[in-house]
Amino acid sequence: METAKETLKIQTPEHVGFRYVLAGLGTRSTAFLLDTIVRGLFILFIFLAVVLLARWLPQFDPTGIFAAIPKTWFFALGVLAYGVVDLGYFLIFEALWSGQTPGKRMQNLRVIKVNGRPIGWLESSIRNILRAVDILLGFYPLGLFVMFLSSRSQRIGDYAAGTVVILERRRKVPMDKTRLRTTSKLNLPELELHVSTLEPKQYQVIRSFLQRRQAMNAAHRREVALLLTSRLIKKWGISFGGDISDESFLEEIVGIYERIRKAI
Amino acid sequence: MLYAMNDGFSQMTAERSEGHKVSTNIRIRNRNCYGIGRDTFLSKRGVAMSQSAASAETKRLAISLTGFRPGTSPEALVKALQSIFPRKTAEQIRAALARLPLLLTRSATEEQARKLKSFLESKGAILKLATSAASAGQAPPVSAARPPSAAPVVPSRSGVVEAAAAPKSDQPYTGIERRAKPRIHPGIGIHPMGIGEILDRSFRLLRQHFLLFFFIILIPQGTFFAFNKGSQIFLTGGVEQSMTAGMGIGLMVSAILAVLIMMILQFWAQGALIHAVSETYLGHATSLATSYGAMRSRLGRLLGTMFLMGILIFLVPALLGIAMAIAVPILNVMGFGDGTKFILSLLLVLAAIVWFFHLFLNWLLVDKVVVLEDKGWGRALRRSKELMNTRTEQGFWKRPKNKAGLILLLGFLIGVGIHLLFQVPGLLTHMFLPMKFIKLTMTLQQVLNVIATSLATVFTAIAMILFYYDIRLRSEGFDLKAMAEHL
Repeated sequence: METAKETLKIQTPEHVGFRYVLAGLGTRSTAFLLDTIVRGLFILFIFLAVVLLARWLPQFDPTGIFAAIPKTWFFALGVLAYGVVDLGYFLIFEALWSGQTPGKRMQNLRVIKVNGRPIGWLESSIRNILRAVDILLGFYPLGLFVMFLSSRSQRIGDYAAGTVVILERRRKVPMDKTRLRTTSKLNLPELELHVSTLEPKQYQVIRSFLQRRQAMNAAHRREVALLLTSRLIKKWGISFGGDISDESFLEEIVGIYERIRKAI
Repeated sequence: MLYAMNDGFSQMTAERSEGHKVSTNIRIRNRNCYGIGRDTFLSKRGVAMSQSAASAETKRLAISLTGFRPGTSPEALVKALQSIFPRKTAEQIRAALARLPLLLTRSATEEQARKLKSFLESKGAILKLATSAASAGQAPPVSAARPPSAAPVVPSRSGVVEAAAAPKSDQPYTGIERRAKPRIHPGIGIHPMGIGEILDRSFRLLRQHFLLFFFIILIPQGTFFAFNKGSQIFLTGGVEQSMTAGMGIGLMVSAILAVLIMMILQFWAQGALIHAVSETYLGHATSLATSYGAMRSRLGRLLGTMFLMGILIFLVPALLGIAMAIAVPILNVMGFGDGTKFILSLLLVLAAIVWFFHLFLNWLLVDKVVVLEDKGWGRALRRSKELMNTRTEQGFWKRPKNKAGLILLLGFLIGVGIHLLFQVPGLLTHMFLPMKFIKLTMTLQQVLNVIATSLATVFTAIAMILFYYDIRLRSEGFDLKAMAEHL
């Protein structure tokens, strides 16, 4: 059966288990595309800097030192800077930002060692030097092939460096626009008791609906709200008056659940 | 005779002809049916009866037809069943009756069951009613072969209640499944995704069902290649010779024939791939034969809709071209210079490009709509446009059209990578092998090209199918509906 995510399980010597979600081809390609744009901007900046230096610097230098330097030296400097950006962009960023580049950071990706530890200069160097093999002839033909065969979506550079790319959990808890301010229109003393029996998974379903309802088509939104409400009413064997909508009822439930959880 | 049932919550009506026209109907939708296969007749259907959601709380019953009373006219019973299952032919119903017992539904309310029973018993049928949970044990062999379906009842968009989300067995089935309401396997995790995640999941799906998807697409590509090669060998005898007039006409005819066959096969494969990806994404099992089989009855509609779309997309650029052809001589007569003509041409070309992309993106999901929602022609075009213009997320890059553009761009880049991977070995053999192997190396290159094209096509196609589902997930929340069933 197709699963939603591929994960990497790591067991520490203390028998503590970690589970990382592995990044696939899509998120990695998107991150690479973003990094290519950033690299392009760097290279454009270098090009402009070289042109400006070669053309304007000698004119504003009263000492005449820069005028004495042949222009080819400026271009050589530019080529060197380009090389540093092209080869060092991934290597330096990943080593300094603990496995991230600007593109990876935007996509919430991080390179880690297969044992779950952060990568250092050595791992970053190996995986990025071997990028040249993965990217042979452009567009990662070999990298794609190896990733396709790898159960951990590793390319050749990853295999050699012993690294994997993982999808980080979002650091920020998404602030919910549907943050509930329940007005407690319901006068059901037993409701709290019923809500306390709600399992986390069931709560998640109701919560997901409340979070996503704004984006939903009105008819489907009503339908899901009705379905959830009728299921809960049936399950708990309760009834309430007609002055409260299905969504308000669900908001009330989520509010009570969160209050109970907080109290615990 | 009016056979209407209305208890305030539920309403089940029967359309019967007893000498005079009768209104309303007992209608069993085959939205949850597994087709017209030998062992599946009517067995997975829900009774689609207009009723409010409140009736979902009532007890559900399974109704089986176990036999006939002596002296019953089989044809009367066939007719009665046909009025309940309007999509079945008399032959299909007769064949099903020959293999009794027959499970009619497993999700009828008590009131509905009572009325259905009295209706069919008046025609001489012997029915057996059981509570839905118990129905598995008492059900006919058809249902005994499958795990008992929960067949939960959900209120649909129009307020109609019908059985849905019945998990399918792992056995491949035959026939067409309706996907207007996608049935999600209970264990499957689906949720709204970003662009990266859509591509991730496409890659994973391709890896997990590689042979299935690859062969679905390889069939038309391979057939086209084999047909071309075969016709060349047949016409030229497989030896190098100068082209004669007869040979040229023969090659042209065979090429046109090949293109026609290729187009039909290509759309068939496209539909089969949509079916297969949809099944596997929703957690069901499928196979090559099942996927192609499921497309058989929709192929005409898919072909027609895609042709209509193609014509409409290219109609505007064509009209602009005609307008330009008319405008140029007029401008010449009026004494306008080349600069004006150039600017006008440029504007028209730009307008044509913008219009082309506008229509192309609006109708990007047409094939999915035809296959998965059973809509065709104008309805499919409108539905695709509706989906592509649904705003479910904030932000410029999260508009469906922009997301689709990015997915296509990334898919294209990955496709280039795939092509490089397969073209390089062919090129290397071509470069390093002696000239006497030229035919071999050329054929090898062509074969590798066919494989690369199939792979690249398959990847982007999977991503677009998941993108279609993503829009529907966000706007219709069908994953929430499925999860709500298990609350």
